[in-house]
Amino acid sequence: MLFSAPSVERLVEAFRRLPGIGKRTAERLALHLLSAPEEEAQLLSEAVLEARARVRQCSVCCNLTETDPCPVCADDRRDAATICVVERPAGAMAIEKGGAYRGRYHVLHGALSPIEGIGPSELRIDRLMRRLEEDAVREVILATNATAEGEVTATYLSQKIAALGIAVTRIAHGVPMGGGLEFADDATLAHAIEGRTPVR
Amino acid sequence: MYVQRVECRLFRCLENVIFEPEPALNIIRGGNAQGKTSLLEAVLFAATSKSHRTNVESELPQYGADQFQLRLRAQRDTGAVDIESRWFRGTKRIKVNGVPQTRLSDLLGRVNVVFFSPEDVDLVRGGAAQRRRFLDMAISQVQPPYLAALQMYRQALRQRNELLRAAQPDHDHIAVWDAQLAQYGAVMTAQRAAFIAALSDHAARAYTQIAGAEPLALEYAPDVRMDESLAAVLERSRTSDIKRRVTQRGPHRDDFAVLVDARPARSHASQGQQKSAALAIKLAELALARERVGEYPVLMLDEVLAELDAQRARRLLDAIDPQVQCLMTTTELEDRHGFRDAGSALFRIERGRLEKD
Repeated sequence: MLFSAPSVERLVEAFRRLPGIGKRTAERLALHLLSAPEEEAQLLSEAVLEARARVRQCSVCCNLTETDPCPVCADDRRDAATICVVERPAGAMAIEKGGAYRGRYHVLHGALSPIEGIGPSELRIDRLMRRLEEDAVREVILATNATAEGEVTATYLSQKIAALGIAVTRIAHGVPMGGGLEFADDATLAHAIEGRTPVR
Repeated sequence: MYVQRVECRLFRCLENVIFEPEPALNIIRGGNAQGKTSLLEAVLFAATSKSHRTNVESELPQYGADQFQLRLRAQRDTGAVDIESRWFRGTKRIKVNGVPQTRLSDLLGRVNVVFFSPEDVDLVRGGAAQRRRFLDMAISQVQPPYLAALQMYRQALRQRNELLRAAQPDHDHIAVWDAQLAQYGAVMTAQRAAFIAALSDHAARAYTQIAGAEPLALEYAPDVRMDESLAAVLERSRTSDIKRRVTQRGPHRDDFAVLVDARPARSHASQGQQKSAALAIKLAELALARERVGEYPVLMLDEVLAELDAQRARRLLDAIDPQVQCLMTTTELEDRHGFRDAGSALFRIERGRLEKD
């Protein structure tokens, strides 16, 4: 920074707390907002506050939503007997973009990670179990991430859900569509070979 | 495969060095602290992103500098590989053939190297941790799925240990980490067993060539036997693990025994035998990598000649296949082994400056 101004430093710090933002980017964003027309800063701060005020967790699936229940949970055309469990809203959004999934979601808001102090009670697992007991669910698809934490969370859930007699599936690991095999990383390819399926 | 060209900038005492070795035997001569080992270390670091001397990367830039750059060009049967490694104030950026790499697994195996330095006698004399480190690095270079399993296992182990330190550990929660450890642990154990069995055959052959008559053998000593279930072992030791707040059983406690004349070399072999055994293990790694990858890795031998008498030095050189590119350092300035006559490339390094003789 060329000058020292406590208010600017506070703004930079605020940006730095956001995921994926380093020191340089934080400074660039702050300086941009300060040199751009005042309306732009106004627009941003209002948009942040308004979104914060309107968005909450869906009382059914825990996804972020403006209406409760969320549009997916409220949509009768969607298959209520299938629930896809994801770690974060971004996961549900990614699957939704794919367009192939017609069931409902459940967002855990994290994965088991003792290092970060996240145990079963920190996740929305109780809410999921209540849903499974109350609704007529036939299949739970575990779509947690392919990390150690995501895998463990999937194992934990599968054990709890299996006790209820509901089918549990785990999403497949595989090769990206439209990509040559040579572009997939070795671990993904090894998984893809292991998880191969018969040609129908 | 062979290294064609290495550029070092601000790496250790190598301010600005270009090294262009020949595809076969290269001898780098120089006194102590002139930069011989640093030159080999530069090749190792470019190829594996690791140093054999330190885990603290901030020790690698030249004294007073806050950055270094390495560039390595190698020829493989399949074509040229170009690795660029830039370190700037704690941040490392690696490019392979101009493409930025974010994961270690994407770098390992591009240029395979086998490195031997005098401290590697600890493979035989030192603790189990050193042998595990060797195994993990050697297998990861030739079997990428091993590295993936190892990284998942290590992460699960960190998580489980953290859970064991909690005020009131939740048994159901520990059990799922056990399942994770068992899954990836099984991959590690199977690959380690296969690797050590193959390594043992090659090492026995190399040992006979360089040292003499006594038979050498390597025996895998897994912490949890392969016919036992790791999941069951973890479950049985859970209460005790909670008391001690650490995961006491599993592949992270594995070892392998080095046997000379059927006795543990660690306690029963002479210093000379221990050195020869360590060297034989490295030569075995080289031969095994060739079987798995299809061509020989680059062999680097740091200061091995000084410790061997003329006869053993000769036997060592005879044991190395002429197809192997070997980068060898020595403090001996006169050419008592007749390298020049044998057609080897000779280099001399002095105060960080390299010259071809």
